[in-house]
Amino acid sequence: MSAPSEQRQRYRPGSLEILAIGLVLLIVGQRWLVGLFDDPALQTGATIFVSIVVQALPFLVLGVVLSGAIAAFVPASFWKKALPKNPALAVPVAGAAGAVLPGCECASVPVANGLMARGVAPAAALAFLLSAPAINPIVLASTFVAFPGEPMMVVARFIASLATAVIMGWLWLRFGKAKWLRIGPRDHLVGTSSWHTFRLTATHDFLHAGGFLVIGGLFAAALNVLVPQQWLSAVADQPILSVLVLAGLAVLLSICSEADAFVAASLTEFSLTAKLAFLVVGPMVDLKLISLQAGTFSSTFATRFAPATFVLAVIFSLLVGWWLLT
Amino acid sequence: MRRDVQAIVLILVGGAVLRITIGDTFLNYVQEGMRPWLLLSGGILVVLGVLALIDVMRKGRAAADEETPHDEPHEHDDGHGHGSGGPRAAWLLLLPVLAIFLVAPPALGAYAAARDVANSAPPQEAKAPPLPPGDPAPVTVAEYVGRAVWDDGLTLDGRTVEMTGFVTPDPAGGWWISRMAVACCAADAIASKVKVLNAPDLPADTWVTITGRWVPGGGTKTDTAIPLIEVDTLEEVPQPRNPYE
Repeated sequence: MSAPSEQRQRYRPGSLEILAIGLVLLIVGQRWLVGLFDDPALQTGATIFVSIVVQALPFLVLGVVLSGAIAAFVPASFWKKALPKNPALAVPVAGAAGAVLPGCECASVPVANGLMARGVAPAAALAFLLSAPAINPIVLASTFVAFPGEPMMVVARFIASLATAVIMGWLWLRFGKAKWLRIGPRDHLVGTSSWHTFRLTATHDFLHAGGFLVIGGLFAAALNVLVPQQWLSAVADQPILSVLVLAGLAVLLSICSEADAFVAASLTEFSLTAKLAFLVVGPMVDLKLISLQAGTFSSTFATRFAPATFVLAVIFSLLVGWWLLT
Repeated sequence: MRRDVQAIVLILVGGAVLRITIGDTFLNYVQEGMRPWLLLSGGILVVLGVLALIDVMRKGRAAADEETPHDEPHEHDDGHGHGSGGPRAAWLLLLPVLAIFLVAPPALGAYAAARDVANSAPPQEAKAPPLPPGDPAPVTVAEYVGRAVWDDGLTLDGRTVEMTGFVTPDPAGGWWISRMAVACCAADAIASKVKVLNAPDLPADTWVTITGRWVPGGGTKTDTAIPLIEVDTLEEVPQPRNPYE
């Protein structure tokens, strides 16, 4: 801890001053700056960027409020009672719990982080992290609406996603190392009361996850404007390649799981199995999520967890797609 | 990032969300149904920010300078970005705020519509029901495309229809009346385009309401087909409240 009195004696421009000067410059230069953004490609990119951020923000706020509430108001003992003691059993229970709790993928990272900080086995919390955004009721309902002629799509999505989440949990149990995970500072953020702890936690989580959401939104906007759509239609006819391409596209586009079924349905050239891969991979591995995981847990974790999840999700999409969708 | 700056960032982000939601600007980005959620989340952010500012003011400048309490030595090199207090990634949250207040990104228009190779999506039913009664019968651009391309114009033949969209110049000359359909947010918008015949050239992104009649041509049973319409009347209109279908 630094001594506050020492810091107050010497002046250095802090972040508040930088923010204030920046805002003044922007207000003065607004007319000139707006002119810079007159290009239609840039404006289209900006619209896509803002819409991704605006669309995801309520889910993110809901998620940090939920994780803040868990940190502040739910005693640690609750989680030990709710989940089976044996981690190998807790994994499928936590995975199935994802089917009940609605949550966006951006929210699931801080929620899982909060669970670990409350003493839940990391393997179970990770199974929950993967399954909650993939198989919650809102997502399954949106999938049902997006594929009216194909009710098996909903079943296939549920089975492939839950299988990926549970197997990943068990893999973590067997091969995961605790040092890869830097569980967030939840327990350090203890306020003067439960309400204060809740506010501190929610604020910190939002600022953190929000920054990474912005990175994902920027990437998705750039790809949306820069990658020619003709490239997409050219690969749709190759069965295995199209599955890999849509799985890869899900990673790049970083669309919220509540929305991705409609995007998948619009990719009419592609096979149902390829669309299934898009729906299974997207909520579990995408650019926004990787940067969120790297920021929350450490990049060592993200560089191991994300590729393994991707491979498993593609394998289960192929298997379940071959079983149910052909 | 210091506590007081964190509080200001929260207020700016929440304020930007409230600013676009009070009014209709948010319809350029997301769907109408998001309004209560945006108001709620924007409000929560502003309240959290104001409460954090009050904390800072109560404790004085010393508390504002104070690093977040979990600032233990091992946390400096974890790539977590906490070294100087709050998360460093939080600065990025100023980008959408700046985009909203400075750029005010417009609804997707001719540039996005021209980029979209596929024209709308095939309709769910194999045979479309008859057009609603009325002369002209109101249709969306997507519905017109669906009926003309996937149903051979069966239900459009002999009817006069009315639709509203914006002008997207056709590289081959003339223009398409077009409209973006949004499933969730503008990031997943899909364009629908209909080639207008017998209409004067207009600048890109001009909003028009046209009445006209279906004429065969433009291709069928493929999502790159762009059907035709013979225009009877054309009127320039302001951008509709919800620019998407």
